[in-house]
Amino acid sequence: MKLKEHEQQMEQQGISRRLFLGAGAGSVAAGVMASNLMGFKSLAAAKERADEVSAYIQEVPTVCEMCVWRCGLKAKVREGVVMKLEGNPDSPKSRGKLCPKGNAGIMTLYDPDRLKTPMMRVGERGSGKFRKVSWDEALDYIADGMNKIKDKYGPQAMIMSATHNLAQLQFENLLQAYGTPNYGTQRSLCFNAMVMGFTMTYGTSDVAGDYSNTRYVIYNGRNLLDGIANSETQDLIAAIDRGTKVVVLDPRFTKTASKADAWLPVRPGGDLAFFLAVNNVIIREELYNKEFIEKNTSGFEELVKEVQPYRPEWAEEKCGISAKEIYKVARDFAAAAPRAFAHPNWRTSNTLNSFQTERAIAILNALVGNWKEPGGLYPSGGGHGGGLELGSIKQPPYPRVAAMRLDGVPLKYPIVPLKLGVMQELRDAIVRGKPYQAKGWFLFRQNPMMSLSDRGKTLEAFKKLDLIVSIDIIPNDTSYYADVILPECTYLERYDPLSVVGNKVFLRQPVIPPMYESKPGLEIFKLLGERLDLHEYFNYKDGESYVRTQLKPLKISLEELKKKGFYEAPSHGKEEHHEEEMVFQTGSGKIEFASETLAQVGFDAVPKWKQLPVPEEGKFYLLTGKVAQMTQASTQNNKWLSKHVPENVLWINADAASVRGIEDGDEVYVESKIGRVMLKAKVTEGIRPDCVWTVFGYGHRSKGLRTTYAKGALSSDIHESVTDPISGSQALSQTMVSVYKVPA
Amino acid sequence: MSKKNNKRYAFVIEISKCIDCKACMVGCMAENQVPVEHSRNWVHQKGPKGVYPDLGMSFEPGNCMHCENAPCERVCPTRATYKREDGIILVNKDKCIGCKYCMMACPYDARYFDKETGVVDKCTFCIHRLQAGMDTSCVHTCMTGARTFGDLNDPNSNVSKLLATHEHHVKLAAAGSRPSMYYIY
Repeated sequence: MKLKEHEQQMEQQGISRRLFLGAGAGSVAAGVMASNLMGFKSLAAAKERADEVSAYIQEVPTVCEMCVWRCGLKAKVREGVVMKLEGNPDSPKSRGKLCPKGNAGIMTLYDPDRLKTPMMRVGERGSGKFRKVSWDEALDYIADGMNKIKDKYGPQAMIMSATHNLAQLQFENLLQAYGTPNYGTQRSLCFNAMVMGFTMTYGTSDVAGDYSNTRYVIYNGRNLLDGIANSETQDLIAAIDRGTKVVVLDPRFTKTASKADAWLPVRPGGDLAFFLAVNNVIIREELYNKEFIEKNTSGFEELVKEVQPYRPEWAEEKCGISAKEIYKVARDFAAAAPRAFAHPNWRTSNTLNSFQTERAIAILNALVGNWKEPGGLYPSGGGHGGGLELGSIKQPPYPRVAAMRLDGVPLKYPIVPLKLGVMQELRDAIVRGKPYQAKGWFLFRQNPMMSLSDRGKTLEAFKKLDLIVSIDIIPNDTSYYADVILPECTYLERYDPLSVVGNKVFLRQPVIPPMYESKPGLEIFKLLGERLDLHEYFNYKDGESYVRTQLKPLKISLEELKKKGFYEAPSHGKEEHHEEEMVFQTGSGKIEFASETLAQVGFDAVPKWKQLPVPEEGKFYLLTGKVAQMTQASTQNNKWLSKHVPENVLWINADAASVRGIEDGDEVYVESKIGRVMLKAKVTEGIRPDCVWTVFGYGHRSKGLRTTYAKGALSSDIHESVTDPISGSQALSQTMVSVYKVPA
Repeated sequence: MSKKNNKRYAFVIEISKCIDCKACMVGCMAENQVPVEHSRNWVHQKGPKGVYPDLGMSFEPGNCMHCENAPCERVCPTRATYKREDGIILVNKDKCIGCKYCMMACPYDARYFDKETGVVDKCTFCIHRLQAGMDTSCVHTCMTGARTFGDLNDPNSNVSKLLATHEHHVKLAAAGSRPSMYYIY
């Protein structure tokens, strides 16, 4: 490691050497930005600091990117050093507050392990041997490789994939201009089932709960206190404080469950039985909203017929929740309605039943008629602007794409939207070489080497490719196995396309200039596009000019926006009234209890129970989830965050552990059909005896990540790759494992 | 600086609102440039208590409680640790000799020894922010409002109002240190 060089650069940029002292020696002395600010030796110094805080520090408003919630924040900058990040009170996403990750953004910016220059592989893939190259050399090499692939095999032989971020639309621009249909996103690993379940019922998945008026909320696996969604997490705690009843279905006693009125430790996959039974009670006991159903829904008769056998007594054994409890939830929910909602949830990539579970949840909401009612569900408008028209950059139409997609959409997955896709199938198609062999993979801040179940298979896929390019901020595992790595700058060093929230737009702007040789994504796409002879698709100079074009129709200049951080468009004053006829973007124009679309492609029009495999005697369901201090596999190297969760552990029920002679802190093997990992056991009462659980995102193989390298273990090493045939969701709760103590 | 300001600062913690996210801890690291191996504040997880599936769990944030009858102040041989009239307890780093008596005396384990500077350090109630008219960093970032900070001498302050309307407790009352940190369960 070129620590010396690194420090020199830091010092040039006004950052004290002390910040990184010890980084090379393995200890961590991060956090001290400038030695003269070390605490304060006297009150005079404290006063000086106070003046500095109020007067000498510049505040730059921008948008966070430690996760995908896009909180507005203010960066406090002193002489070119980012000292502190705080929430922007004008941001509806943060309301002036930041989560631990948002607070720790500084350590992502100043992570000594950041990618600093473009690099090209010199050793075997995965050897971690790279040489520094110039942007020209790297981009020429990539363009040459992509052109060769296009000429020889067609553009479809190039896969391009990106994770959720503000520059994603411009990334899509690059791949569409190049002409490949093979676009991979993280969505099938996350929320396909939720998006599609609600879309097939309401015609939209941009649905949110009205926390400020609600009396009763049901969550199915949604753990808002660990999977933090800043403003929504705030809303939940405020609602609980006001006395809102909260029911949490989760095999694990999560932090959210600990705040709930009822924790229902549901069997993985049994959640479908639970919601079918709740719907059964509401229908049998006529607790539904007759007028709403008559006016706004279709297929009620079919639902009534189908739901008949699903009594709570039937569901009890399947979901592991007593019939009595199911009756209680159904009756209490209906009594609280319409000021009640069953949350749509978020990551719903759980089982082969996940799509129909989401359908059953959508149906439950419709039965009690909570749509657009205070305390119920309402269309949130997503991030799509609510009528805000942004300026767009002129460009020619994209080339026509004739080739079929490798991820099986739409032939194998007829109702999965192209934008969602089935990421794990894309990987499998590379391994199979069918229907055609992919030759290259271009990744924008995506880490399938960790995120896709069955890492062995992902490694196999990588071996079949001639060209792998990864754009990222840190050398994650995917970059580690790539041929060319391009360093993007962090969100604190770049412009991105505007973030639209309702009738407000928020600006992400550079708080400090890009460090090292890193560049913003928007500029990287343009530089590469030009080398691919796609100039006309990149009619902007840089991020700033891109944003200027977007701002043209709005009554605010970029200069003004840079100071304020956001712009609020005048509202249209056309609030929808309840009396108005509701129109839904479904086949029938109504909320669909029975879906014609689903029936046409051979799926159940009304949700039906399907029995899923259960663990053999002595085995466990392997479950994964989140902690509040980490975002997927991207933040483990951040020293302020890894301090709190340095590695992942395996939650195991106390009785199950005792039978196996496992004590808290013991090292255990967790073994599935495809592999085995070692983790430390956390023995707890807070999980079903037939489940074990761990946090996803640890077990990095990249030696470039010195803080987190080889800490903990990756669930994807043992997660089997199973896919819900309807939504294309990865079924992450269907891997069974044995757990045993590592022999001394 | 230390002239009479007739204030009596305190924290009130609403346990039911704390979600153990540790934003207060990370924010404090940045605000006060705390070395990464230390923290000036904490969140203690209590539980899960009980037997599956009847469980309870809560989270208790804390930091230096700026005690009225502060053991740290009493034991300091050089009077480096001292109390201001507004109740804030500080360490004068010019006087601190790093003997760590205060660390042993503190009932709440709120202090740490900074190897770099050779002196003891701890939460200052973000005095530099108070002087600039701002909230403490931990209160400022707390998403759920579990932490409230203010002046007990002002009956209209949020802390006074919370204490007037809720049953509250202090930690280790038996230690007799009379901490300025109140917990509402």
